Order: sequence, then C-alpha cells, then structure tokens
Amino acid sequence: MKLNVTRLAIGVAAIALSATTLNAQQGPAAAGRGGRGGRGGPAPYYGSKEAPTSPVSGNAVNGKKLYYQYACYSCHGYTGETGARPFVNHWTANLANEASFMAFLRGRADAHPARPSTSMPNFAANTITDAQVKDIYAYIRTFKSHAPATTPPALAEILKSADKPYKR
Amino acid sequence: MAKPKKLAVNRRGFLKGAATAAAGAGAAALANGVPVAAAEAALQQRGGGAARQGDAPAPPPTPEQIQRDAGNVRPPSSTARAVIRPASDLMVQVLKDVGIEYVAANPGSSFEGLQESVINYGNPPNKMPEFITALHEESAVTMAHGYAKATGRPMCAMLHGTIGVQHGAMSIYQAYYDRTPVLLIAGLDKGFIPAHSARDMAGMVRSFTKWDAQPKTVEEALVALQRAYHEAVTPPMGPTLVVMDIDLQKEEARDVKVPAYKPPTITGVDSSTAREIATSLVAAQNPHINVGRLRTPEGVAQAVQLAELLGASTSSTATIGPMSFPQGHPLCGPGASTTYDYTLGLEMGGTVSLRGPDLKTILKTRDPYDIGFGGLAQGVRFGGPPATSENGARVIDVDAEASLAPIVEQVRMQMTPEKQRLAQERAAKHAEANHAARVAALRAAIDRAKEGWDASPISTARIYAELWPLIENEDWCFSSPSAFSGGHNAQLWLHNKPYSYLGGQGAGGMGYGAPASVGAGLAARARGRFVVNIQTDGDMNYAPGVLWTAQHHQLPVLTIMHNNRAWHQELMFVEYMCGVRGRGTDRGWIGTSLRDPFIDYKMMAAAYGMPGEGPISDPAMLSAALKRGVASVKKGQPYMIDVITQPR
Repeated sequence: MKLNVTRLAIGVAAIALSATTLNAQQGPAAAGRGGRGGRGGPAPYYGSKEAPTSPVSGNAVNGKKLYYQYACYSCHGYTGETGARPFVNHWTANLANEASFMAFLRGRADAHPARPSTSMPNFAANTITDAQVKDIYAYIRTFKSHAPATTPPALAEILKSADKPYKR
Repeated sequence: MAKPKKLAVNRRGFLKGAATAAAGAGAAALANGVPVAAAEAALQQRGGGAARQGDAPAPPPTPEQIQRDAGNVRPPSSTARAVIRPASDLMVQVLKDVGIEYVAANPGSSFEGLQESVINYGNPPNKMPEFITALHEESAVTMAHGYAKATGRPMCAMLHGTIGVQHGAMSIYQAYYDRTPVLLIAGLDKGFIPAHSARDMAGMVRSFTKWDAQPKTVEEALVALQRAYHEAVTPPMGPTLVVMDIDLQKEEARDVKVPAYKPPTITGVDSSTAREIATSLVAAQNPHINVGRLRTPEGVAQAVQLAELLGASTSSTATIGPMSFPQGHPLCGPGASTTYDYTLGLEMGGTVSLRGPDLKTILKTRDPYDIGFGGLAQGVRFGGPPATSENGARVIDVDAEASLAPIVEQVRMQMTPEKQRLAQERAAKHAEANHAARVAALRAAIDRAKEGWDASPISTARIYAELWPLIENEDWCFSSPSAFSGGHNAQLWLHNKPYSYLGGQGAGGMGYGAPASVGAGLAARARGRFVVNIQTDGDMNYAPGVLWTAQHHQLPVLTIMHNNRAWHQELMFVEYMCGVRGRGTDRGWIGTSLRDPFIDYKMMAAAYGMPGEGPISDPAMLSAALKRGVASVKKGQPYMIDVITQPR
C-alpha cells in the first residue's frame, strides 16, 4: 500500500523533473528562462512551503559530505534553494519521508538516453547504500530558507525601475 | 644627420647568430647583392629551410661577408629605402576607408608588412585602425565577433598562416553561425616556414565563411579587401577572409591608387510592397510588430519610429540578443489586447514576415564537401522561430532593416490626423497594459530571486539583482551568454539599447564569453560605455590571456566570475550517465569539475596586471565589491571580481 503511494509520488515527481532540463550550449535563440515582453514567465510554482516533519534517522554531518560527493548540490544548490530544482519552499512528496526519498532515488529513470540529459540521475543500491541515502536525507532536512523577511533594497529598486519613465 | 656611431656589438658574433635564422640569408643577401634565391638554396641544403634555431650549424661566412667584417666595404651612402610606398599601406588605407576601428591579432610574420603599416602608416598612425594585441587567434576573432554584436559593424582580425587560421577556426565558425560580420586577413608566406603556408588556406574554413579571396596583385588585393567588407556587412552577414600574400604586402605600390570605396546598398521591400504593408498597418485597429534581431542600431531606431507612428505594441528579442526593440519602451509588450489584427514580423513571424536571406542560400558555393553543418544544412531553418504558416501568413525574403525606411515613409504619408489621434490613444492604452504586465512579471521574478538570497555560496540571482541599481542609470553592455548563470537579466533588468545584451556564443562553443566581452569592451571604450561580463569559469580558462588584452588596452570590462568550479553542464550530464550505468554516481565530478585545486581568478587577473578582488562567498560582501568594480570600469580600468556561486 505504502509502496503504491510512493510509486505515485515518484511518477508525479518524475514527470515534473523530466519537464525541466537545461539545454547544453545555448544557441542565440535559446534562453535560460523566459523574459518580459512575451517570451514566457518564470517557471511555475511547485511543491509546498511546509517542510516535512517525519522522523529522520540518518547523520546529517555525514550527509553533507555525501551531498557534495554525489553531486546533489549540482542541481539542487548547496543549500537546496537554487538551480533547476530547489527543495526549500518547494517540498514535494518524494521528500516527505526517508522511505519515499529512498524509493525515489532508486526508482529514478535509468533508461539510456539518446541525448545528453540533466534529468535527475538514478542512484542504484550498488552505488550508494541505504545508510548513505538516509544521511543525505537527514542533511536535506536541515535546509532552511535564506530568503530575506523583507524585500532587500536591490530587489526593491528593480521593482521601482518599472515605474521610471522610459529614457531613450 | 647624426654621424653613424661605432657599433659596440661584436659583428662577427652578430652575423653568425643571424645566419642560423632564415632571415639571415635574406639580410645577408640584400647587403651583399647575393640573390635571395641562392641564399634560400643554401637554407634548403641545411634541411627544410625552417627557422629551427640551434638545429643546424651556421654556414661559414662568404668572401663578401668577410670583406665587410674586415671593414673593407663602406655602407651604402644613400639612405634610400628599398620600398617607398609599401602596398600594405594601401591595404590599411582601405581599412580606414571602410571605417575599421580595430585590427586584432596575435603577431605573425606572415602579416608583418600589414602590421607595420597598421602601427606606422597614417596621420596619426595606429588609429582607425588601432592594433589590438591578442594572445590567441581565438581571442582575436571572438573579440571581433563581440565587437560586431555590440556595434552592428565589423572590425578586422589577422591570422598567421595555416596555424593562425586553425587556431581561429572555432571563432570563425561561431561568428558564421551567429551571422555576424568579421573581416579576416590571413597572412601567407610561402617562402618562409612551409608548415605555415598552404595552397588554399581559405579552404580550411570555406564551409563556414561567407566569402574569401586570395588576390594575386596589389590592385586585386585592394579590391578584395573592399569586397570582403561589403560581403561581411550585407545580409546574410558573416565572416569573410582575404588571404594576403606577404610579397604583396611588401611590394612597392608605385602609383597604384586605392579605389574609391562605395558603401553597399542593401535592398529592402520594393515600394509597392512597402505601400501594401503600410496600408495594412495603418488600417489595423490593433497592429503589432514582432521585432527580432536587426542588423544595426539604425534599424532599431527605425523600428521604434514605426511603432510610435502607429501606436503599435511590439515584442522584442532584446532579452536574448542584440539589435532589437528596447524592452522598456512603453510600446514593448503584449499591449492592451493580444488579439492583433495585423502583425508585421521583422526577422520574426507575423501576418507578413520580412526575413533576410539565410546562410543556406550561399551553401552551394561555400560548402565544398557538403558537410552540412547542423542547423545550416539545406532544409533547416536557422535563426528565430519558423515563419507562421496559418492565416495566410506571408514570408517575404528580404532584409527587414532595409525595409523599414520605405515602410515608415509610406505610413507617414498614409496617416491622417484622425489615424494619428487613434494611434496615440492606442499607445497610451498599450503603455498602461505593458506597465502592469511588467510589474506583475517583476513581482514574480523578485519572489523567485529572494530564494537563497542570503545563502553561501552566492546565488546567481543575487549577483544580477545587486548589479542592477549600480548600472541602471549608466550606459552598459552585457556581453556574455547568461543562460549558464541563470539568465536572470531577462527577468530582472531592462534591455533598452541595441547592445544591452549580446546573446549567445553562436554555435554554443565555450571560450566565447571572455574574448567577446573584451571585444565589446573595444566598442565600449570608444563610446563611453562599460561592459558587464558575468563570466563562467570553464569559459574563462580557454584563452585567459585576453584579460591581458583588456588591461593593456584599458578596456572598460567588469568581469564577475560565476565561479561554480566546474564545467557544470557536463558535470550534470556525466552524473546522469553514471546513474544510467548504475555505477560510480559519486564520481561524476571527474573530468567535469575545476577542483583540487580551485582556481583563483583574482590572482589570474593580477598575473595579467588587472586589479580585482575575491574570492567572495559571503553575499553580504557582494554589493560593495560590485560598487568598486563599476567605479573602476567607469574610469576605464578593467576589473575582476571572483564570486563563488551556487552551481546554477
């Protein structure tokens, strides 16, 4: 029963993840994200602002080392707040508890891609142990938001720019 | 005239040393009247004729050399020069006539004639064009690429023989893909180092240049240079190459005249089509103009004129490349209603779409082996989204920029006072709607930018955000591709100038950002601007010597490292592959990251004499550093800030 729920979570998460890949080596017409003036807006919001509260049994200190070693930081940022798939403020079902996280890592697509892919890799048991996965999960669970409580002056200035008269 | 001083140098030693180098044969031959051919034959006998210093022993002095050594031969009394009017002076005159500001090159003997003319011919010499010292041919050509994107006009890059062309090849390819004009001159010296010459040097890059020539006479050479410029700047724009024989450069031009230069005429739509388009635009209730990448700042100004005349809303590619409609203009945006009854596409789709000739139109004459480089092969549309084919959309194969003047003229003629009033009403409504859309988009972007704001390493969004207040009231040019550092300029900044953002590499090749930024710096220095280069670390390391070029020529380039200590894209790819094979997912960093040791970019810049600071990983220190950087480049002094960043 639990497995089915997590399978569903994997499925949902997998679809969400595979939808966002960064193109290598952009040509002149490509853009990282949309801009103003009609080229599409920022990526749609996903996940929940509420951090999970399930029990954590791994070692976060060791998890920090592993988070770097296994290149998790490369897509999720050093603090889980930046890049293609931040965690903080975007907590998804696959991060709800240790078991869902484990099933997610093991169950990620490992289909041989025809083209280079920046999708989430598969983390098989022979490459990372259950204990190591739990340590990484413990570390991820320590992530806190570094967003400022109020709008910093630079961002406030950016918003004000929209009101300034256009100068040729 | 000063009395000739007694030479302190040991002349026998000097001659011996000179004779081991290939030049020695020539110098000795000229001094003693020995035919050069005989000296060359002597060189050949020693094997290869290559200037392999220390390789072969010096030949014994000839009787003539001994006589001169013993002081039995007086130097020639006249100070007549061998060449009064070197042909390379005329070649440089052609460059002046077509308005070339800079010649960038890593020095090479095969263009020593041209180089001497650039630095010494003219009043004043070494100005228009000025010689820009490059430490790599890749840098020279990519500087020209960046310069052209920032200005809409070409500069010149010189390449030494085969090896120079080879070194510059990737940069030429990228300029070609990017449809950017670059004037290339490759020196050819068949008599010197054999490995540096080839029968058809241009053949190496013919598949990705627009035009090339190998003139045989001085007259041909002058025409070839003019033609190369002409071909480079007429659509489809691209790099052009003249292979310039050293003998032509050194030839006595006598009374050869530089032919008068006629600027190219680039044709747009014919007058009846202009009238037709103008009629449709004027009649439309909600006209819209899709503005893509035009060729020059003049085109951008005309597009603005047209939109303002009509009160038409516009779309722009200014957030992804140069020479497009100003993003902050009140008319730029979806407008009061997105139901447009007529859309004019300028190098973009629309009800009527004006699209300049494609590079593939010249493939038959330029791709000798039918290589069909991806994206340039027949049947593949390159550049911009495909023309719309529904609703009777019509694509006219004509340069959009050149079509603007006739269309604007026709619109002016057809606009009645009533139509003008309606246009102004429309414009006011569009301005209000576009402002609201902009604010909404900004709020969302700002919420996103707050995530990880105070994190260490520093978030990419924070770099862009902290920069904006420091540059928004300045004349800036953002020169490096921004996708890898999050492309936050698209959402947080306003791109109001033709050169606000110069876009991508052309063919996606890394090693573009740094030299393109320095090329943009060349454009900026002369125009009172400065350049912002958010520099990816992988890209920096291909030919970092370009930092020296920026420092030496005092180019106002602010380099802010996006130092994520990896070729990050590749790190993610290889990591995925490890997962696919089910092994070593903790080893994807091998061969893809720049760690052990970390590279210190402040020290790198300092090695090239450029001031800077860093590494900075505390976001609270960032703004002050950026302020120092902006202050520095505003005074014309390039500056380096090493920032340790989140990966993306």
